[in-house]
Amino acid sequence: MSDTFVLRADERGYNKILSTGPTASYVGGHPDAFITRFSSFNFGEYQDGRPGFGRVRVFGDEAFYHPGCSYNMHPHHNFIICAFVLEGKLTHINTLGGLNDLGPGDYYAFSAGSGGLHEELNRYAEPMRAIYLWLLPEHLLLPPSYVSGHFDAAAGMNQITTLIGEEPGAVPVSQDARVSRLVSDEPGVFRYRPRSRRHGVYVFAIDGTLNCDGTTLKRRDSKGIWNTDEVVCEMGRGDADVLIVETVM
Amino acid sequence: MNDEEALKRWICLGCGFSYDEALGLPEHGIRAGTRWRDVPQDWVCPDCGTPKFRFEMVEIPYADGQPALRAAA
Repeated sequence: MSDTFVLRADERGYNKILSTGPTASYVGGHPDAFITRFSSFNFGEYQDGRPGFGRVRVFGDEAFYHPGCSYNMHPHHNFIICAFVLEGKLTHINTLGGLNDLGPGDYYAFSAGSGGLHEELNRYAEPMRAIYLWLLPEHLLLPPSYVSGHFDAAAGMNQITTLIGEEPGAVPVSQDARVSRLVSDEPGVFRYRPRSRRHGVYVFAIDGTLNCDGTTLKRRDSKGIWNTDEVVCEMGRGDADVLIVETVM
Repeated sequence: MNDEEALKRWICLGCGFSYDEALGLPEHGIRAGTRWRDVPQDWVCPDCGTPKFRFEMVEIPYADGQPALRAAA
């Protein structure tokens, strides 16, 4: 018997972070700029939910509104910070020399290791939406690294594509974790098999509707499953977009 | 203080800054060997200001060659 939890979209933590007032040094942009963050797990002021899942500590569904809206340059250690851009354009700058404009389908893994700084910036009027995922590393104070990748939704339609992990073409990270994406436009059944029963799977519905191991997940709903051999995602007729995070528990 | 107890490591859940009881943070006035429980309750992460109670104890080994960089700093 597997273990599970279901987290509905409206059960997540919510923060609106302004570019004015007490958070002005944290969030940049003109006075109307702000960031919204829905947190699946405890983070910052939101501490009423689950503390994490396996090696995942942060799963943030974030939007940056108005030109110049940013998390200003700030330091990190140790965490492997991944961003998956859904809409708009993200300018990512880091102290490893990384300077990238990332659009829909683009993603990166920034392993802060022994120390690195980054800025996350939307330079445009169109809101920028991204999923931010933080993983604990397998070792403390690793050499910092930055790798970006791209998910081609057209080429990857109706199949599970590994974005982060050991597979060829995927972005590797120093953790026993994988991130995959499943975009569908027709009915289908997809079986995701974690590495072992010691691994858990967090299924997040970016868009559309699916049935995940007997649970209907709508837009921004999610489900965690562990102690299982496989996770079954049944996709319906409409368009659907799912992020699948696997982590050792 | 129970010296039998292994020295532990803690990580800031706001930014990832790590505190190692064996190393302390001499540059911030916390001597090597200071147990986490003896770090002042009002202490905050020197990098991001996250309060002490939002650190998590971790059993994660160091990368090769670490923590040499910090010990030498």
